[in-house]
Amino acid sequence: MASPIDPIHQFELKNLFSFGRIGNSEIAFTNASLFMFSAVGIIALLTLLATRDRAVVPGRMQSLVEMSYEFVASTVRGSAGQEGMRFFPFVFSLFMFILVLNLFGMIPGAFTVTSHIIVTFALAALVILTVLIYGFWKHGLHFLKLFVPSGVPIYILPLVTMIEVISFISRPISLSVRLFANMLAGHITLKVFAGFIGMLATGLGAFGWIVGILPLGMTVALTALELLVAVLQAYVFTILTCIYLNDALHPGH
Amino acid sequence: MAQPIVTTTGATPPGAKAAFPPFASETFASQLLWFALAFGLLYWLMSRIALPRIGTIIEERSNRIAADLDDAQRLKDESDAAATAYEKSLAEAHDKAKAIAQETRDALGAESNAKRNALEAQLADKIAASEAAISARTAEAMASVRGIAAEAATAIVERLTGRAPERAAVEAALDRARAS
Amino acid sequence: MSSEFVAGVIAGGGLGWLFDRLLGTSPGGLIVFLLLGFAAGTFNVVRAAGATGKTGSKPYRS
Repeated sequence: MASPIDPIHQFELKNLFSFGRIGNSEIAFTNASLFMFSAVGIIALLTLLATRDRAVVPGRMQSLVEMSYEFVASTVRGSAGQEGMRFFPFVFSLFMFILVLNLFGMIPGAFTVTSHIIVTFALAALVILTVLIYGFWKHGLHFLKLFVPSGVPIYILPLVTMIEVISFISRPISLSVRLFANMLAGHITLKVFAGFIGMLATGLGAFGWIVGILPLGMTVALTALELLVAVLQAYVFTILTCIYLNDALHPGH
Repeated sequence: MAQPIVTTTGATPPGAKAAFPPFASETFASQLLWFALAFGLLYWLMSRIALPRIGTIIEERSNRIAADLDDAQRLKDESDAAATAYEKSLAEAHDKAKAIAQETRDALGAESNAKRNALEAQLADKIAASEAAISARTAEAMASVRGIAAEAATAIVERLTGRAPERAAVEAALDRARAS
Repeated sequence: MSSEFVAGVIAGGGLGWLFDRLLGTSPGGLIVFLLLGFAAGTFNVVRAAGATGKTGSKPYRS
C-alpha cells in the first residue's frame, strides 16, 4: 500500500482487464466489478446450494436462506401489501445485493462497491424507474394523482404539486446518497481511526503503543457499528423501495 | 435518471486531476455496465430459479404441517370417541352390575321374608296351642281348687263343730267367698 | 434524515438549473426551484419523521 493512512485510497478502482474505451470512458473490469460478481456468485451459491435438498426440515444454511426470504417477503407485504409481492424478486435481489456488498466492505482489504455513488444511484434509479413505468402502465395518467394531494385549498395546490414533484425527484437522490454517504463516511472514519494506531505506534514509540489502545478501542467499536450500519442501510433501502413501490400500486392516497 | 449525470459529468477531461474515486466520472460508464450485468444476472437467477424454489419449499412445508395437524386432529378425535365409548360401556356395565345386585338382593330378601313368615306362623300356631293347653289346665286346676277348698272347709268345720256341714252350705259359702 | 433534506434541495437546484438552461431565464429558475427544493426537503424530513404519516414512516438513519 502506497500510503496506509490515506483514507481515500480504499475507494480507488483498479482495472483488472480493459476492454478499450467508449468516448472518454474506459470500459474495464475493475475490482468493483469483481466484487459485484462475487456478491452475485455468493448469493446464488447460498440460495441455490442451500436449497438443493429441498428439505422439509431445513439445515442451517437453508434456514438462513428461508429466513431472508420470509424477512423480505414480510417487509414487502407490510409496506406494499399482497399486490407488492409481484415485485418480490426485484426487492429480494436488491436487498441481498446491497447487504452482501455492504458486508463485503467490512472484510479488511475488500472493496466497498456501495461506497460509489454511481452504483447506489443506479440501484435507486432502478427503483424509481420501476415505480414510474409500472405506475404509468397500471394507472395511466391517474398515476399523476400521486403529485396532487387531496384536501388542499385550490390556490396553493399548484405550489404543493410542484413541491410534491420535486420531492418525488429527490427520492432517488436521497435513496442513493443515504446508502453511499453512510458507507463512505463509515469506511473513512474506520480508516482514520485505524490509521491513528499506526501513526501513534510509529511516531511515539513505546508510549505510542500504550496510547494507541484508545483508537484501537474506537476502531473495534466502530467496526461493530459499521456492521450494524451495513445491515441497517440494506434494510432501509429495501423498506423505502417497498414504500415507493406502494405508491406505484396505489397512487391516489 | 442515470443518463443526464453520465453525460453532463462525463464531459470533464479524464486525468485532469486525481478526482475523489467515487466521483471520478470517467469510471461511471464502466461501473454502470458491470453493475447492469451483475444485477441483471442476480435478478434472473433469483426470479427464475432461487425464489420459486424457496417459495415451493416453504409452501410444501406449510402444507405438510397443515396436513400433519389435520392428521393429529383426526387421530385425537378418534381417540376421544373411543374414550367416550369406553366410558359409556363402563357406565352401562356398572348399571347392569348394580341392577343384578339389586335383583339378587330383592330375591334373597323375598325368600328370607317368606321363610320368616312361615316360621312366625308356625310359632304363632305353637304359641296358640300352648296357650290353649295352659288355659285348659288352668280351668281344670281352678275346678280342682274348688273341690279342695270344699273338702278343706268341710274338714275344718267338722273339726270345729264336731259334725260335718251340709254339702250345699259349703258350696254356698264358697260361692260367697269367690264373689267377695 | 439529513439526506432527505439535502436531496430535496439538490433536486430543486437541478430542476432550476435545467429550467434556466432550456429557457435562458438564469438565474430566476434556479432561485425559484431552489426555494421549492428547500420546501420539498422540509416536506421530506417531516414525512420521514412520521408527522404526516403519509408514506407509512419507518425509523431510519441519516
